[in-house]
Amino acid sequence: MGSHSAAFAHSLQGWTAGLPILGATPLWIWAFLSALLVIFLLALPFGGIATYVERKVAADIQDRIGPNRVGPIGLLQFFADAVKMLAKEDFIPRGADKFLYNLAPVLVVVGACGAFAVLPLAKALVGADLNIGIFYLVAVTTLIAPGMLLGSWGSQNKWSLLGGLRGAAQIVSYEIPVALSILPVVLISGTLQIGSIVEQQGWVWQGEMMKNYHFWNMFHNPFTMFSVFILFVGGLAETNRIPFDLPEAESELVSGFNTEFSGMRFGLYALGEFCDVFVMSAMVTALYLGGWQVPFLNLENMWVTLPSGLIAIIHFSMFMAKTLFVVFIVMWLRWTLPRLRVDQLMGFCWKGLMPIAFFNVIGTALWMWIFHGKSMMQLVMGQ
Amino acid sequence: MDVDFPREIHDAIGDGAIMENGMKLVLLLAQVMTLVSALVVVLHPNILYATIFLLFSFLGVAVMFVFAGADFLAGAQVIVYVGGVTILVLFAIMLTQWLYEAKLKTTLMKGLIPFIVVMGALGPILIKETLKLSDSVSATPPEKMGEFAALAKTQLIGQALLGNYLLPFEAITILLLGALVGAVWLARPE
Amino acid sequence: MNILDWATSLQAYLVVGTCLFLLGVFAVLSRRNTIGILLGIELILNAAGINFVAFSKFRAAAIDGQVFTLFVILIAAAEAAVALAVILRFYRLKETINADEANILRN
Repeated sequence: MGSHSAAFAHSLQGWTAGLPILGATPLWIWAFLSALLVIFLLALPFGGIATYVERKVAADIQDRIGPNRVGPIGLLQFFADAVKMLAKEDFIPRGADKFLYNLAPVLVVVGACGAFAVLPLAKALVGADLNIGIFYLVAVTTLIAPGMLLGSWGSQNKWSLLGGLRGAAQIVSYEIPVALSILPVVLISGTLQIGSIVEQQGWVWQGEMMKNYHFWNMFHNPFTMFSVFILFVGGLAETNRIPFDLPEAESELVSGFNTEFSGMRFGLYALGEFCDVFVMSAMVTALYLGGWQVPFLNLENMWVTLPSGLIAIIHFSMFMAKTLFVVFIVMWLRWTLPRLRVDQLMGFCWKGLMPIAFFNVIGTALWMWIFHGKSMMQLVMGQ
Repeated sequence: MDVDFPREIHDAIGDGAIMENGMKLVLLLAQVMTLVSALVVVLHPNILYATIFLLFSFLGVAVMFVFAGADFLAGAQVIVYVGGVTILVLFAIMLTQWLYEAKLKTTLMKGLIPFIVVMGALGPILIKETLKLSDSVSATPPEKMGEFAALAKTQLIGQALLGNYLLPFEAITILLLGALVGAVWLARPE
Repeated sequence: MNILDWATSLQAYLVVGTCLFLLGVFAVLSRRNTIGILLGIELILNAAGINFVAFSKFRAAAIDGQVFTLFVILIAAAEAAVALAVILRFYRLKETINADEANILRN
């Protein structure tokens, strides 16, 4: 485990071995390039396409058509947007603190894109399956909070500052219910490694007889059914999506923490936000919805032997289908719910989510103790 | 090679000597970043900038932890310091300064005596003793280092916390609860 | 021994730790701003953590040093929270966070 990107770098080096300059390139450059490739092939297009999908979903919900000019059914709209952002004047407000103003979007993007390294896209497709995977994911996304705070301070605008302060306070507060809803999964799986967590959510077939009825962690016990929703709601708040979009509440704060940002820096903020939404949805999928596991099937141990490439593709599509469904719910909520007030936001976190999350952790621990770690499914099937 | 990186890093870099040197370079850069950022923390007149560079110093220390086989600690370091302490300090700065006058200077004259104390007395002694100590410490045999690198450290830390270190662990939880209540009480509105 | 090999040695870890400690002490002594003093204390605690982790790898090859570092990190968090609450309180009282102004008990 954990060496897939290295294997990729090795094969890159292998393919180019005969070529004049590329052949002499050391392995670590290939490793670096393959890491870059993951970001450019995954994070950037996702950020772009997400803006298109978001506008289409919004249009559908409001009974409009949405973007339809650039390319077939407006599909290339995100490309036009990117070109527009790149071509805009590189503008820094006169009173702004230049260092902070430049640093902030970078922190946000690093925080959001860094998390892609541990996302298990398929069984054989994960950047680095660290054995502290889920812990790393929580750690690297914390970089977003200082990014927002510093950017809002650096742009010397009171609306920005209010937005940034709200955003940081919100992220720091909602991190706790999110972490507490990750804990039940760790209790169940006994590991922090995301690949292993996903692997344990599949059914194990052996010949004709089904040996092990493991299923998605969401259905492991009654408590995890609640904690998946807390994780989702907490994730919504951490990514500043409606109904928790107070940091950029456009009806009160102009555009919140990114008011003064334009051009590519604004683009970085937007990219970071969309990547963050994807990472959050992928986290929900991997921890509770079985990740790349196909429900009720174990592709590697079936009555027919599938080629490994096909299995990888099916796993990948399964993971993307689940994750994008969660992303769709996020967009759906945006056009359905009104925004919370600040005091409601904090009250909801500390008085609503936190006690339930604690209850879930203790409940799951008790369940694991009483039923010796068996899931509901296993108990029903009489294992 | 006589160096033992954590297992993940070993897997990721393969066996190439160039890769290994690249990883060492990353560690060296992290150490340099830690110290240079710490220097800025100490000397920068603007307290906001000092805090930001403290963040970079913390990140450098986290990288050093990873290379010393303490990946769980690196995660904890980033979560607690970057996500917690730095944000708290930034909040405190933004709440206690006038909005656009975040500059509070260290007067250089007042820095003179500490400078003499640190550079003239404390520094040379400590550095000398450190060098002497690190020379006198007998190196761990390589096979033992290899064993250590292969350990599942997160599990071991968990077992240690609920085993040998149960009492300090419980004491820390009570301390944290006390700190939480105390901080809320101190910062309560009038 | 070239510098890249040196970076992975015990000595490098200890030297970085010591320098962090010295910088922290200097910050605590020279800053008049209470938040600046707090930053210095955080540097000192980090230096302690580096030493624990380094010895845990290079000398003991055991996990205990890491457990202690975990305790150090937790205590630093608690300390920062309380210290900042005190600073906010002090700011409300005196409209400044300069440590020299904290002299009520002297008069």
